[in-house]
Amino acid sequence: MRPLTEVWSAATSRLMLIYGGLFAIWCVVLLGAVQFESSRYLSGVIDTMLQQRITLLSRSEPSGLKGAIENAVTIDPAGVMWLGLFDDHGRRIAGNVSALPAELPVDGLVHVVESGALHPVVGRPVRSRAVVMTLPDGRRLVAAKDSRTIDGLGAIMRRGLLWGLTLTLIPGLLGGFLLSRAPARRIRQMQLAAEPIQRGDLSRRLPVSGRGDEIDLLAGIVNTMLAEIERLMGEVKGVCDNIAHDLRTPLTHLRARLYRTQQQLKGPEEAASLDACLADIDALMARFRALLRISELEDGQRSACFQPIDLADVMRQVHEFYGPLAEDRGQRFELDLQPMPATRGDPQLLFEALANLVGNAIKFTPAGGMVTLRSANDDDGGYIEVGDSGPGIPEGEREAVLLRFYRGDGSRSTPGSGLGLSIVSAIARLHGYGLEVGGDGHGARIRMRFGPAASAVG
Amino acid sequence: MPRALIIEDDEVTAREIVAELVVHGMVAEWVADGRHGLDRALEGKFDLITLDRMLPGMDGIDVVAALRRAQVDTPVLMISALSDVDERVRGLRAGGDDYLTKPFAPDEMSARAEVLLRRRQVGESGVNRLRVADLELDLVTHAANRAGQELPLQPTEYRLLEFLMRHAGQVLTRTMIFEHVWGFHFDPGTNVIDVHIGRLRRKIDQPGQSSLIRTIRGSGYVIAPAD
Repeated sequence: MRPLTEVWSAATSRLMLIYGGLFAIWCVVLLGAVQFESSRYLSGVIDTMLQQRITLLSRSEPSGLKGAIENAVTIDPAGVMWLGLFDDHGRRIAGNVSALPAELPVDGLVHVVESGALHPVVGRPVRSRAVVMTLPDGRRLVAAKDSRTIDGLGAIMRRGLLWGLTLTLIPGLLGGFLLSRAPARRIRQMQLAAEPIQRGDLSRRLPVSGRGDEIDLLAGIVNTMLAEIERLMGEVKGVCDNIAHDLRTPLTHLRARLYRTQQQLKGPEEAASLDACLADIDALMARFRALLRISELEDGQRSACFQPIDLADVMRQVHEFYGPLAEDRGQRFELDLQPMPATRGDPQLLFEALANLVGNAIKFTPAGGMVTLRSANDDDGGYIEVGDSGPGIPEGEREAVLLRFYRGDGSRSTPGSGLGLSIVSAIARLHGYGLEVGGDGHGARIRMRFGPAASAVG
Repeated sequence: MPRALIIEDDEVTAREIVAELVVHGMVAEWVADGRHGLDRALEGKFDLITLDRMLPGMDGIDVVAALRRAQVDTPVLMISALSDVDERVRGLRAGGDDYLTKPFAPDEMSARAEVLLRRRQVGESGVNRLRVADLELDLVTHAANRAGQELPLQPTEYRLLEFLMRHAGQVLTRTMIFEHVWGFHFDPGTNVIDVHIGRLRRKIDQPGQSSLIRTIRGSGYVIAPAD
């Protein structure tokens, strides 16, 4: 699992990027609209000027037209407005326009001329707006104006956009990053505080900063829920423990009386029936002991006696301990050791857990079957696996077998407390190991994984 | 007759312990609280003390620690409702000689008491050869022979036989065997130990020889010369 803070910062950066992108798009659209509107307005102004000028000139005396144009050109050395008079063959008669632009339609309307030998002052073709009109005597009158003013406006707008975006986005993103760090830090603290809770220590609480913000509010809600869960768990455990405690004292007394009676009896028949009674009571007492044992393990205070251990050694001891039993039952019991990570744990408890698993496997495997105890590694890490060639555990019961008192339908006739796997489960939890129950029609497989359980056993 | 002091605040449990120890030929005295118990243990000459872990007046751990500080080496069997291994370790570190968890079977308790008593009488060191009838076990070479015939023993079988023979004539329960031979403190179920005993029996009892390891119904095993 990725740390929550990583997910959190990924989420905030994504949010910041999306927000920044949207902001940039909006700026571009806004400035685009402004530019579009203003250049349309300026074009309109220029076009009106050009129209007015050309209309004015066209209405003047045809004979004085040449002179008027030359006058106008003279008083405009900067070339603000370009004028030209051409004959019907396109030769220039007067004005500062060098030639008639070929692409310009002769219709008395203003058009954009991308290029054309027009500009008299700059000396090279530039973008302009121009209008051509045919006079009644066949001459053509041209009026044009440099449109770079309008284009210049666009450039100013784009520069403005660039500055605006830079100046807002950089501090915005930076600020956003800095602002998101504080909550990320608090989320990290919560994550740390939640780890023991996830492992089952319900007495822990999430930190509350006292600022009363949303995170505090959430932490408060979670803490309240934890308190309630802790109270309920305590009650349930208390009830269980009390029952076990209360019942085992009379049981102990009952057993003592039976035992004494048995010792005093001489007849073999009475003794045999008392033997059976004693065996029953022993089974009952074993069950109570197991219950109390689970309760103890679940208190989770045992990690104090964790020490560096060699799991292979524990496995060898289990194999040695159960080997004769398997042999007596005509089963093969194989031990397969692969290198395992050095680890810390309680060797007593791990032996107990493996002994329970192997004991179960031997119990449920018919004569001539096989039981395996092996360690192995896969993509999810290392594990110890106990497998057998018994009837296996039906798919639907695999979660349930770890529950207290659960026994499969097929195992009702077999002696046992039904608590073995609960003890294993409690020991695994105490070590932070995962338990995976699996197998197929040819036997059960239970894995104790040195880390959280993977989804399923293959 | 060996004298036993029972320090136990639950009257019913105490009466059971007393009754069981008396059956095994001991004289038993009962004290119900820790401080008084410590006083009696310090002044009386007892051969065995059973000590509850949780007592009014003074905790069982403190009692045994105080006894050991006062150089009183009477064997102490701690009896406690706390079954955790940590508690066992604490009890033994404080000076207890054995630790039994409630609820216990009286025969289990008396078996442990007998072992503690005997250990005190015989002592454990100085012997390098154990003998039961015609069965011999060499503690140095780990060699075993019966009626002069060498018996090949696996390491576990050797430890099992040694434990039985060290306490020859005393009933050893399955739990005691599991604790001493394998070193683990939980309930392994009965039949695993039985199987190990069965194997050992087949090794040491050749056809025609009398069986030395006897099963005590409902309790455990004892190794002793055949009657």
